[in-house]
Amino acid sequence: MSLRLKLLLLGLATLVLPWAGCNYAREMESALRAGEQTSLQAVSQTIAASLQGRTDLLYHEAPLAADPQADAAPPDAVAALAPAAGPYDLKPIALATAPPLDGYSEDWPRDPSAWAYFRKDAHHRFGILSGVYERMLYVLLEVHDEHPLFDAPGTNTLDPATFGDRVWIGFADPQGQEQQLFLAATGPGAVTARRIETGEYGQRTAVLEPRVHGAWQSTHDGYRIELRVPLSMLGSRFGVLVDDRDARGAVPVSYGTLRSDDLHTLGRLIVADPALGSYLTQFLQPGLKLAVSTPDGRVLARADALAQSTTLGTEAPLLARLYRRFVDRPGERQLLESDAPIYDRDHAAVIGQLEVTQTAGRWVRLRDQALTRMLNFTVSTSLVAVVVMFAFAAWLALRLERLRRASESALTRAGIETRFPETEARDELGDVARAFATLLARLNEYTGYLRTLAGKLAHEIRTPLTIVRSSLDNLDAEQVPESARAYLARARQGSERLNAILLAMGAATRVEEAIGSAERVDFDLVPVLSSALGAYRSAFPQRRFLGELPAGPVMLHGAPDLIVQMLDKLIDNAADFSPADGAITVRLLLAAQAAVIEVDNPGPPLPPQLAGRLFESLWQSRADGDSRPHFGLGLYIVRLIAEFHGGAAAAGNLADGSGVRISVRLAR
Amino acid sequence: MKRLVAIVEDEAAIRDNYAAAFTREGYAVRSYANRAQAMSAFAARLPDLAVIDISLQDEPEGGYELCRQLRALSAELPIIFLTARDSEIDAVSGLRLGADDFLTKDLSLPHLIARVNALFRRVDALRKPAAGAGELIRRGPLTLDAERMQAQWDGQVVLLSLTEFWMVHALARHPGHVRSRQQLMDAANVVLDDNTITSHVKRIRRKFQAVDPQFDAVQTVYGMGYRWVE
Repeated sequence: MSLRLKLLLLGLATLVLPWAGCNYAREMESALRAGEQTSLQAVSQTIAASLQGRTDLLYHEAPLAADPQADAAPPDAVAALAPAAGPYDLKPIALATAPPLDGYSEDWPRDPSAWAYFRKDAHHRFGILSGVYERMLYVLLEVHDEHPLFDAPGTNTLDPATFGDRVWIGFADPQGQEQQLFLAATGPGAVTARRIETGEYGQRTAVLEPRVHGAWQSTHDGYRIELRVPLSMLGSRFGVLVDDRDARGAVPVSYGTLRSDDLHTLGRLIVADPALGSYLTQFLQPGLKLAVSTPDGRVLARADALAQSTTLGTEAPLLARLYRRFVDRPGERQLLESDAPIYDRDHAAVIGQLEVTQTAGRWVRLRDQALTRMLNFTVSTSLVAVVVMFAFAAWLALRLERLRRASESALTRAGIETRFPETEARDELGDVARAFATLLARLNEYTGYLRTLAGKLAHEIRTPLTIVRSSLDNLDAEQVPESARAYLARARQGSERLNAILLAMGAATRVEEAIGSAERVDFDLVPVLSSALGAYRSAFPQRRFLGELPAGPVMLHGAPDLIVQMLDKLIDNAADFSPADGAITVRLLLAAQAAVIEVDNPGPPLPPQLAGRLFESLWQSRADGDSRPHFGLGLYIVRLIAEFHGGAAAAGNLADGSGVRISVRLAR
Repeated sequence: MKRLVAIVEDEAAIRDNYAAAFTREGYAVRSYANRAQAMSAFAARLPDLAVIDISLQDEPEGGYELCRQLRALSAELPIIFLTARDSEIDAVSGLRLGADDFLTKDLSLPHLIARVNALFRRVDALRKPAAGAGELIRRGPLTLDAERMQAQWDGQVVLLSLTEFWMVHALARHPGHVRSRQQLMDAANVVLDDNTITSHVKRIRRKFQAVDPQFDAVQTVYGMGYRWVE
């Protein structure tokens, strides 16, 4: 991984800031929510307190005093009125819309738990579903009747002989008076309730009660009646009685929630006063929902403004919405709820439950504002940090790259480049650069020392060698026993070899001196080479020499003696590495601004790691066992002379791998 | 009377070896370790020949100074310079100190003695007025007097060192024939490396060119050696 990438990643670590910000926003949101919850609790308790003892509002009934039972009952009996629902009580649900009075149940909410069932036996049973919408009570009655029977049409509705199945409705009016209405139909369709009135003379007439009407439909196992009753007619009690007749005029089987003898109501109608809704509405604010329910959880009335948006629009800026996406946890409730019990007047019993629901809009908006500001700040901080780090990394990488390039190119052909970039820098990189520069300077001294070592050594050894040789010369002239002559000869051989070594060691130094004092002349390279080739043919009779020289003259400005000396070294080298009777080719090529001398010899190819070092001083790769002294100076001398002529030497293998080619460029 | 050879050499072992060789050869030998000793002795009595090392104890180039002083005392006294390094020959020759020869110390004793003998012969020859001309070699403008070891070009004397003279002699004796470096070394009784021979040849040319700028008689045959062309 590059330094740039690493520092970029490091910069990305600053993204922990926005992350922490998000977490902080969540914390803040929780605190806000808790605060809102507390205040909502206070609101709900306040409203609940205002409803304390208002059973009239909650349960749509006259003041308790009007109830004869309540009169006598102890306070807890009153309390029992509300919560302890009797088996015959009717608990209407709150309807969202008014169902059309058509006798079909499809318009009603599908809520099996809202149904109440009454049965006398397996053949006589009905289900009742009631609901309140605005100021109307709606009742849906499903009667199981194996023999549904309508009244005989066109006759007096009070003639018992014509009676079919009939349904009685009994209720207490707001004044507490028991009232009864009945429903009778001669066929499916609309039906209006009738009241039996006893006239001044005892005659009974059936009077239409137009406020109570509905529809009667047959079903596959009986019939269904849908009915609407204005709540204003009703007090706290309500009941239904079904007169089931299997034949017209027969004695009916009566069952339901009215006493079958005097049609007195058995159960209560647990429904809120219509005023409760408007009472709650006065507490309503946008984003708030109020609901009053019975202690067992049935909703009596509600006022809903949840859908209304809070004063400031929910349309948050794009960025804020993006942020919210990160902060919101899926499935988190966006609503606050608070319950408060409604007590009776004596604060002894719970007569109802107030639920207040609030949308999250208000605190979410607050949170969004804070979050947006904070995230804008932290994200831009992170961005700046990343950019700055990246730039810094790029700069650092650039400097390191310069150091790397400098260190790679420090070892040049001409020696060691001791100048180094970045040494002026005051940071650690500068320290590294300075250390490098120091190292290179020392290396330079060291190689310089090595380069001159051979020459110095040769010079220092020469004096003792002279002593040895002159002593041997003197010894030759002395009377030496014949037996000692052999030793003398060996000593001379040894000293001659030492002398040869000294000559070889000093060769580079002498060439350098020769180059230093060389005079440049204009000369034709072709005759020089051909003349030298002729000499090599006689000097190396075991090798064949092929010359490939151009026909025309090749003029050069330089030192022909040195060129020949260079060629000597090249040929020496080629002869050493080629087999006997190998053909050594000397080729002169003309290039732009340069003459190129190539010497090809058959033999083992160069190992690849050697290519660059071949022309260095004191480098050699000769096999051991060569009696002549070698100090790896031959090709170094070639290089020196090539460079004196403004050129360079290079070595490579022949394309077919059969040998080695050394080429020397000389500037023309 | 024995000829007196003075050896000025700071290295005692070499000095004594040289002294022993010259003594064996029948010369009287005086050897000195430094310039002061040598000069005080020379002031009393001049030797017949001096062999001088260039670096003398604490004087790296004390030999030059000694040579100059000695030449001031005598114009004819043969002087041989001994150097530790080949390259110094160039420097010594370049100084024109009036030395008769420049040699490296790795020259063998027999070779050294051969030179000393030769130099004495030359001294003798120069003293003999108009000796037999049978030893003369003439090649065009060149006249070589092998006895006096003297070269003339167009009648003008070209001052060559002994080594240089022997090289010219070897070349001019058979004009047109290539003399290899080894042959030149053998002729001059020296062992030198190629670059030193090259610089000797260059110096020979320069000396002749000083007399005649058109001089081009010593030709390089690259890879082989040199030849004299007329």
